[in-house]
Amino acid sequence: MLEVRNLTKIFANSYDQLAGGIRNASFSLPSGTFFTLLGPSGCGKTTTLRCIAGLERPDSGYVGVEDRVLFDSERNISVPMNLRQIGMVFQSYAIWPHMTVFENVAFPLRVSKQRKYSSEEIGKLVNEALETVELGGYGERPATKLSGGQQQRVALARAIVGHPKLLLLDEPLSNLDAALREEMRIELKRLQRQIGITTVYVTHDQAEALAMSDRIAVIDRGHIVQLAEPKQIYFRPANEFVARFIGSTNLFTGRAEDSVAANSLGTVRLTDGSAVRCVFPAGATAGEEVTISIRPESIVLAPDGVPVSGDHDVLKGTVQAASFLGSSIRYEVEVNGETVKAMSPPDTSFDPGERVQLTFPPTSVVAVERSSDRAAA
Amino acid sequence: MISSDRSGVLEGGSTGERRPLFSRLFVDDSRRTFAVIVGVILALLVLPPILILIQQSLVHTSTGGEIIEVTLDHYRRLLDDPRLPQSTWNTFVFALGSTIISLLMGGVLAWLVERTNAPFKRLAYATTIISMGTPYVLYVIAWLFLLGRAGPVNDLYRSLSGSFGVLIDVNSMWGKILIEGFLWSPLVFLLLASTFRAANADMEEAARMSGASVFDTVWRISIRLAWPAILALSLFVFIRAIEAFDVPALVGTPGRVNVLTTEIYYSTKLVPPDLGHASSFSVILLVIVAVLFYFYSRISKNAERYHSVTGKGYRPRLFDLGSGRWAAGAFVLLNFLVVLVLPLAALLWRSLLPYLQGFRLSALQNLTFDNYATVLGASYYLEYAWNTILVGAGAATAIMVLTAIAGWIAARRGPGAVILDQLATIPLIFPGIVLGVAVMQIYLRVPLPIYGTLWILFVAYTIRYMPYGMRYVYSGVLQIHRELEESAEVAGASSVTALRRIVAPLLSPALVSGWLFIFLLATKELSIAILLSSPDSQVMAVAMFDLWVNGQSGELAAFGLVWTVVMTLVATAFFAWARSKGQDVFGS
Repeated sequence: MLEVRNLTKIFANSYDQLAGGIRNASFSLPSGTFFTLLGPSGCGKTTTLRCIAGLERPDSGYVGVEDRVLFDSERNISVPMNLRQIGMVFQSYAIWPHMTVFENVAFPLRVSKQRKYSSEEIGKLVNEALETVELGGYGERPATKLSGGQQQRVALARAIVGHPKLLLLDEPLSNLDAALREEMRIELKRLQRQIGITTVYVTHDQAEALAMSDRIAVIDRGHIVQLAEPKQIYFRPANEFVARFIGSTNLFTGRAEDSVAANSLGTVRLTDGSAVRCVFPAGATAGEEVTISIRPESIVLAPDGVPVSGDHDVLKGTVQAASFLGSSIRYEVEVNGETVKAMSPPDTSFDPGERVQLTFPPTSVVAVERSSDRAAA
Repeated sequence: MISSDRSGVLEGGSTGERRPLFSRLFVDDSRRTFAVIVGVILALLVLPPILILIQQSLVHTSTGGEIIEVTLDHYRRLLDDPRLPQSTWNTFVFALGSTIISLLMGGVLAWLVERTNAPFKRLAYATTIISMGTPYVLYVIAWLFLLGRAGPVNDLYRSLSGSFGVLIDVNSMWGKILIEGFLWSPLVFLLLASTFRAANADMEEAARMSGASVFDTVWRISIRLAWPAILALSLFVFIRAIEAFDVPALVGTPGRVNVLTTEIYYSTKLVPPDLGHASSFSVILLVIVAVLFYFYSRISKNAERYHSVTGKGYRPRLFDLGSGRWAAGAFVLLNFLVVLVLPLAALLWRSLLPYLQGFRLSALQNLTFDNYATVLGASYYLEYAWNTILVGAGAATAIMVLTAIAGWIAARRGPGAVILDQLATIPLIFPGIVLGVAVMQIYLRVPLPIYGTLWILFVAYTIRYMPYGMRYVYSGVLQIHRELEESAEVAGASSVTALRRIVAPLLSPALVSGWLFIFLLATKELSIAILLSSPDSQVMAVAMFDLWVNGQSGELAAFGLVWTVVMTLVATAFFAWARSKGQDVFGS
């Protein structure tokens, strides 16, 4: 397992006084977890990863793997990175071009300070690792004669060859083309399950994070704003930033009509006067200003005047544009001066200028905490 | 259907690329005109020196210059001469020794400065900048002061040991190797520093994460990755040391230790000059250098093999040397003292004394500014300086204009790209002294009255430094995305307009860097100028050489220091400019 407490590492830019880095990050992962640090570039996710690896020295905090303390600012402990026994895959793969595939993968065993490996052991472990990443038989190939996807696999084999307790992946898929990325995403997940290794994965790609992770930490400007399972992150975003960053969404502002208990439905009076019911994960007091999020795919469009079932809420608007995407149609509907996105099945057909009703179940609408002014995502 | 379509497109594209040279020559009129004009100028500059050397090495001439007979005598005489194997061996030992010294000093320094947390890093760059502004002649002379028989080093040795001998005989092979090594170490530092700076830090971090210690990482990863670059640079320095004239001529002569370049020089100084002998020697040197450059180009191509995609713009993490940090700092400091402070201090000391004296307190009472007064008061020193600047600036300008066009066409694979590239690169194989011999003979013959004027120096310098201009422009053009040009042409601009309005402005950082670099080199040039400058067209390096030969070392030191201050300002401007424009200082 991996334990990180109050990890802080701040970089001050001398030119614009904006400080990057990570503040007070804490998480605790059971063994075998696939954990993702997700956020836009510059949010501090890579800094967090490099602090765990030992490539950066945190300003303060605690990092431990299993029972072993790797970093503890209070006790002034900092294990050098080469003694941490962590596997890591770099964004650029960092495959050494002057070595063969075999030598690249064997390197961690050859330089190991913990124990000496005999050459038979090295041969066995390296071949095992190469088999695991499905590169059996590639050992003698020069590293320069590999495709991007193969380099990726070699980097992975090198990271796992010494059976580390923790695997760190720094945007490993971002240098691959789209089709290969899809394939490696599945492959990586399969591998992680097979080895059962605790994994920390850094990405800015929300689809990747949702597809692969057991748990996700969404990071905004150096702070972890939500740490939860993928579905929770998607359907119950903790704040406006998460709602915008993960997937696509429509945000409305209004005031709570009555006091609402946490995790129950309440009614919101929108600024245009219409009322909508939604889930309040944190509860609310009467009259409190709130922001609500409605996912485009939760909205069902219906022609104006058609009766709507009572358990759905309704807003009215005018279709502005429709884009046919194949598996769906994306409509932009003007509702009281605001543009609302809605995803509909491909067989619907509404024309621009047509009056429509937007209907949605209240359970799919969620009140989110307002983020500060900066435009999120 | 789709696949056949695509292969059709691909085939069309590739035949377009591979159209034979002659049919491409007629595609684009203005580019072709440019290519032809520049190609002819380059050919007229570059080819005659080679031809005249070969011709002169194969004929006997009368004193009036008419050819009497075609003969292999010069070569026969050369091969029978016991001095040829001796001076070839000397050249080899000298070049190898100084390559090793400059590589060790410059290489270790570059690694410490770029990849570790050693202190005093700025000193290393200060050393490089100031030494770029120091003429080689002056630098060599400074070391002759320091290591000479009466110099402070041997002085100190004698007073410590009580003997009457010397610790270092500066006129020996060792003396020459040491000084040439010091001379090259700043350039080695500069080039390897950029190699280490550009290294992908992920490669080292991956090794550290794999459990490797600092030593393991440096030994198994960093050095291996930099190895092709180090090898290529070693060969480059080796070639330059073979061509070296300043050090062997100034240091080697008293000890009668000749190398190939000094052999050539002395046979032109015979009365009457033995130009056939000099030419055959030159041809041999030319062949040696050409062969070495062939290997150099192969190795440096190989060096690019290890260039890999770097990840995001993380500053490379520096190695923490721990307590070794201060030992590393001591090395940086020592290098600063040895390569820069000591020689400059020796010159300063010499310039302030009426005659040569060791570093002693008793000498202080003789301190005088007389030498400076003489130098600043005499109009001919100003004239030398003016001549030097004029020729340097003229050659740099001519080269940048020519190579801006040649380099652009070559980098864009325009008409005659390969020919232009090769023509502009040929002068690399000319050692300065060989080019001097060749150009001298050409303009003794052609009816162009430039012999003995600054113009002949201008022509020779333009030939000699052409490859550097080409290198700056070529890599500069490659950094300009081709589509920037193409979109100008799509917008209706002719390719000349595109060159003038789009390429030239974007290329200006490379052009200015190249100009300054060539100017700095040309103002130091001794080996060409010593054969071509006359009393009416004296340049600075030759004047210094003469002062040294005449024993006017006080004036020489004063003049040299004043000149160095001015050139250091130019060198500083060069570095500042290159840095602000993100240019690599060596155009690569």
